[in-house]
Amino acid sequence: MYRQVLRSQWLALRLPVVLLAVLGFALPLLTVTYGGALENAPSETVAQWLFASQKIGVLIPGLALLVGLLLGIGTWAPDHAGKHVYALSLPVPRAMYVLLRFAAGATLVAAPVLALGVGSAVAVLSVKLPGGIHAYPLQLTLRFALACLVCFAIFFAISISTRRAALAVLGLLGGVVLADLVLAALSISGAATVSETVLYLLVNWPGPLAILMGRWALFDV
Amino acid sequence: MSSLVRSVIAVAALGASLQGARAQTPGGRDAGLRTLLARAEGLAAGIAREDSIAREERHRERLATRFDAGAVTVILPASVGDATGRRFVEGAARILDSAGVIPASFIATRIVVAYAAEGVDSLVRAARLDKRVRIGADISAAPDTLADGLLAADVLAQSFRGTLDPEWRKWLPSDMGMGWNMRIEGAEAVRQLMAGETRVGALCLGGSAAGCRLWLGLDRGAMPYQAAEIRKLLTARWWPGNRGVESQCVSGSDDACETLVRDSLLIPPIPPVPAGAASRGSLLRAVRRLHGERALRVALADTTGSVGDRLARASHVSEDSLVAEWRSWLLTGGGQPRVTADLRDAVPAVLVAALLLLAAARTGRWR
Repeated sequence: MYRQVLRSQWLALRLPVVLLAVLGFALPLLTVTYGGALENAPSETVAQWLFASQKIGVLIPGLALLVGLLLGIGTWAPDHAGKHVYALSLPVPRAMYVLLRFAAGATLVAAPVLALGVGSAVAVLSVKLPGGIHAYPLQLTLRFALACLVCFAIFFAISISTRRAALAVLGLLGGVVLADLVLAALSISGAATVSETVLYLLVNWPGPLAILMGRWALFDV
Repeated sequence: MSSLVRSVIAVAALGASLQGARAQTPGGRDAGLRTLLARAEGLAAGIAREDSIAREERHRERLATRFDAGAVTVILPASVGDATGRRFVEGAARILDSAGVIPASFIATRIVVAYAAEGVDSLVRAARLDKRVRIGADISAAPDTLADGLLAADVLAQSFRGTLDPEWRKWLPSDMGMGWNMRIEGAEAVRQLMAGETRVGALCLGGSAAGCRLWLGLDRGAMPYQAAEIRKLLTARWWPGNRGVESQCVSGSDDACETLVRDSLLIPPIPPVPAGAASRGSLLRAVRRLHGERALRVALADTTGSVGDRLARASHVSEDSLVAEWRSWLLTGGGQPRVTADLRDAVPAVLVAALLLLAAARTGRWR
């Protein structure tokens, strides 16, 4: 059954999957367009190249977000279009069906991840690094895979959530903003605002979005 | 009690004593009178002294305001508002705390007298009652001097610098790392390292610990510049060299160029070591962040060996390890780790994905 679900998902999402795979392959290669023979290059050239590598690295979590968004929402697109009749007609429990959808979607996520891994390997092979500078293709690919998985899970869950769940999330966000407004009205200053605290908890380890933060450079010290 | 009232009391006491003395015998009368007069004079002198102190205090209150934050004490002209004064002293305390170079015990022995061009004497007089060592800080130089506490932190740092041994005084950046900030001074340090102006800088950037030691000037008697580099720096300077040894260096004598470095004859803007103030400040900051404030204090109190020896000894690592740590810390913007994908990253990510999958499986549309 997994194969059937995967096939249907591939047919629905092949265009974004191919597009994301191309982007995944191209991003690491952008770094080496600045030049590859760095073994005896002047340190200023190496410095500029390192900065470029770090700037391009910033785009990679953005790509992970895009992968999660397109594939997470796209996974449920055929079901939403068919008013979930197909899912209801299947002789499997709902939880199993959700699991199958998730597994098939995660399999499609693997395509851009693999493409980024191949692109990183090609980029690493095409440069001669000076001493003290290292390449991290494996770590970058694994981190990208984890980031894609988290983003995919978030948008997958949002896409299939009930209106009540959506309202609850919106209510929570509204509550955070309201709390900030109340604190501001009471002139309680000196401490971080509620939204700042929430954001801090989300993007710092072990927060759910911590994987998107940090350094993403393929070449680093 | 006002001085007038005290004087009246003193005179009355003297009068009463003289009245009592008349009733005594002639022999004991003179001795008693002298005792009483001495008492009265002592009382009058004490009153005068107290009056003088009170006058001084009133004068001080009129001229100056004292602000304290942590161990920092600053006396500012009374014309400076309370809010500005508080911001100034708190800013100084914050900068000193973040630099971590100067012990609080040292700061507590100093009092910063911040003066404008006029009224210097009055302010210094105002601070005279405090037993601490007074340090002057001219706040008339720029209108925004009081915007932060950098000036007060700087004068305290310079005062502390004077207590250090010559090796430290020679090596430490002029600002002693006060107000060092990764975004500004850190970027400047990276720029200096990556500028590629010296061979040792390029080596350091490439990961050579020996290159980093030379670039930072950590080894005593080392030669961080090549003769050609010194020559290039001297010829690029806007004024001509007027000393014999400089001229010889520019004319092509490698020995003369080396003498300039060895005998510390290089004068600004050519630094005695290739690493500028921001870069040397970055090493101080890295030691503090990676090995704690105590390591930095211990190193600064150490007077044995080169600067590198002292920092390494205080950090309990080898000198090469220390400069490798510093290089990585600086080039990664404050020790942010390079791209990682270990269990620490994976576990929260997988858990979040599993929780969201569980939530999606338990409830949702068409249920």
